[in-house]
Amino acid sequence: MQTAQAGTLESMDCIVTVSESEKGRGITVSMEGASVARFGEAIVSSTKDTLKKMGVLDISVSVQDNGAGDLVLRARVEAAATRLLGGDAR
Amino acid sequence: MKLRRTKLYLPGNNPNMLLRGHLFGPDGVILDLEDAVAMSEKDAARILVRDVLTRGDFGDCEVTVRINAMDTDLWRTDIETVVPCGIDGIRIPKVENPKDVALMGEALSEIESKAGIPVGKTLIFCLLETALGIWRSYEIATASKRVAAICPGGEDLRADLKTTRSENSEELIGPRRIVVLAAHAAGVDALDTVYADITNDAGLRRETEWVKQLGFQGKSVIHPNQIPIIHDVFTPTAKEIEQAKRIVEAAAEAAAKGLGAVQVDGRMVDRPVVKRAEFTLQRAGLKSGGEK
Repeated sequence: MQTAQAGTLESMDCIVTVSESEKGRGITVSMEGASVARFGEAIVSSTKDTLKKMGVLDISVSVQDNGAGDLVLRARVEAAATRLLGGDAR
Repeated sequence: MKLRRTKLYLPGNNPNMLLRGHLFGPDGVILDLEDAVAMSEKDAARILVRDVLTRGDFGDCEVTVRINAMDTDLWRTDIETVVPCGIDGIRIPKVENPKDVALMGEALSEIESKAGIPVGKTLIFCLLETALGIWRSYEIATASKRVAAICPGGEDLRADLKTTRSENSEELIGPRRIVVLAAHAAGVDALDTVYADITNDAGLRRETEWVKQLGFQGKSVIHPNQIPIIHDVFTPTAKEIEQAKRIVEAAAEAAAKGLGAVQVDGRMVDRPVVKRAEFTLQRAGLKSGGEK
């Protein structure tokens, strides 16, 4: 399975890991980090919104958060997904 | 004239610095896509910088982006990504050829036009990091109307000059003088390179006082702690401010009366002195500026 990753665990950042999903399985998001209890719903919502805008409908996402706000989360999701789509998996 | 006493470098893949850097109060920020970003992270940094430019807040800072050098295949994607965000300018590293600056000007016009940004809005700051770049500094500074400043390099320049860093940077005396002369001849700012020893406040102050005396308008900064020291050096004393106020007031009074010559404290004052006095008040935060 192809996977790709973007981001760091520095303060105000997060690591987003994405992997291919079978067609029709939709976007699944798993999370870990101190902020998940308070901002979990927002993280899922922003992640799905970013991917849908990119036209990505079936993908598995894992977010390790270290205080990334919405702006940074979206940038990392886009970077990880772009790497996956572009074949630049790491 | 815009105040450019300090320009703080912010690593392009570091959200913490990108989002908080302006809070330290520099006159400008430089979002860095070049040396501060590993080759494997250029794509992610570009996306992050684009989003910070679009959705972030930089207060009153002049916002520039240091792109990758024009001898790489990265610079076009860099400008296509950041220029539509409406930045104040780009920093081009390792400029050696005036033709590259002209080419950049054309590329920027095309992007601005497509993005609905006024053509010519995006300024160019040229980093002269080789002996050849320093030697051609006047031609580079005049290669495009967009050029707002030229800046000598530090470590890269030392390496190209086949020398090393000395305590008082004697090896950069010549290059700095050439850059100041070329910048003022071309009507652009001369902005000095960074002071790398971030724990040596006395050394930073000494170097800043020296480059100010040479004719530089400011320095690049790699640590927020350096900002207050540089601002202090470039901020006029109370005595200088008082004298500048008297000169500007006398010039305004003379202009209202239709007189050309002005006398202040028993000395004749001409236009360049009035301009310098205006700049002193601007540096003191008592007068706003609007030019490039």
